[in-house]
Amino acid sequence: MADTGNNFKKKIRNFTFKALKATVKGILFYAIYFVLWMFLAPISDMVPGFQQMIETFVMVYILLMIVGELVSGTIFQYFFNVAKALFVIGYLIFSLNGGIFGLTFQNVSLMVDLRLFLVIAMLLSLLGLAKSVLQAINYMNEKAEYTRI
Amino acid sequence: MRIPIRMISIATTFFWIFLIAFFVSAVYSVKDVHFDFGEPQMGLTSDNKVVFSLPVSIANSGFYNIGSFNISTEISDKEGFTITRGSTFVPVIKKNDVVTITHNMTIDLNDLLQQDKNYLLNDTELKIYEAVSMRIADVIPVQASTNFSMPWGAPLYNFTLGEPAYAPYNLTHFRVTIPISFENHAFFDLVGNVQIQMYNSTDIIVGEGQTNIEAYHNSPYNGYVEFYVSMTGTTPTGRFEVYFSTSIFDYGPLVIPYG
Repeated sequence: MADTGNNFKKKIRNFTFKALKATVKGILFYAIYFVLWMFLAPISDMVPGFQQMIETFVMVYILLMIVGELVSGTIFQYFFNVAKALFVIGYLIFSLNGGIFGLTFQNVSLMVDLRLFLVIAMLLSLLGLAKSVLQAINYMNEKAEYTRI
Repeated sequence: MRIPIRMISIATTFFWIFLIAFFVSAVYSVKDVHFDFGEPQMGLTSDNKVVFSLPVSIANSGFYNIGSFNISTEISDKEGFTITRGSTFVPVIKKNDVVTITHNMTIDLNDLLQQDKNYLLNDTELKIYEAVSMRIADVIPVQASTNFSMPWGAPLYNFTLGEPAYAPYNLTHFRVTIPISFENHAFFDLVGNVQIQMYNSTDIIVGEGQTNIEAYHNSPYNGYVEFYVSMTGTTPTGRFEVYFSTSIFDYGPLVIPYG
């Protein structure tokens, strides 16, 4: 009976700690976004929808990060990490239109070639994806070892 | 397995920070790049070609160099036929540097008029395609382009030869006076010479004369050409062949029937 009560308390403490960690991470990530946005703000005046695009990305990324953090210590953490990496890849490809970013302002058309940036971001995301898969494999290995012992 | 995973984590984090910091600073530094387009100027080269000059000043106060800066202009007619194109290239504009360049474009009016005499006689519109491209921080290519049209004023707009007036000069010849009128709608002053050859209905030249013209831009010109023709060769119908020789172009013959 006492063990069950202790376990419940431990679980609550763990969850509170995870929630706290997720909140801190989320706030930190938003703070970084906030600082970076000050530098990118002049562009948002010229590029319609730029702010919305970045905000959507940050929102979804923070959401996945928080959920991933809340389920940390389980296999689902790695699922969310994989989802995060795939989301970054997909969002970058769709929002940057394959790396060629174009817009027309009055009679002037502007074209920015971000393919190099996109390729590097893609590679880093793939590395993140590989890392998550490796972490999942490692987690399952360790779990199997503990179960055997 | 934990150590390789940790190493991958550290490496990806480092590269992400580097990539985002570089991208944001590159984008931010664009706002510190200033372009100043001066007044376009027109002039003549030594071989009498028209030169359009556009002074451009680029002040790069950003964090990075600007590479492969290029301005290109293409002028075409309403049908899309390219009349001229020009480009000006600057390999590198270093940070905290101001570069002033002159973007030049040359039009050979002689070639242009041989292709289409409408440029000589009728006002029209020219299409201009302007593109500015550069590599921000030497790695992010950016191009801005625009299309607009510019009016072309014909130097001999509404060129007309009046009815030839014949006056007896002696027993064998007439003195012919032919009125000339036109409006110079071009951006340049027209100074030169007009030569008229008169052919009768059997394609035989019966006389020729010339006069000097001086027509300032956006002003009308009225003058005349006088010459002598033989009474026997003159027919009620025929044609005039008009040749223009000016400081900017030579053109001819412009065939105008009479009678």
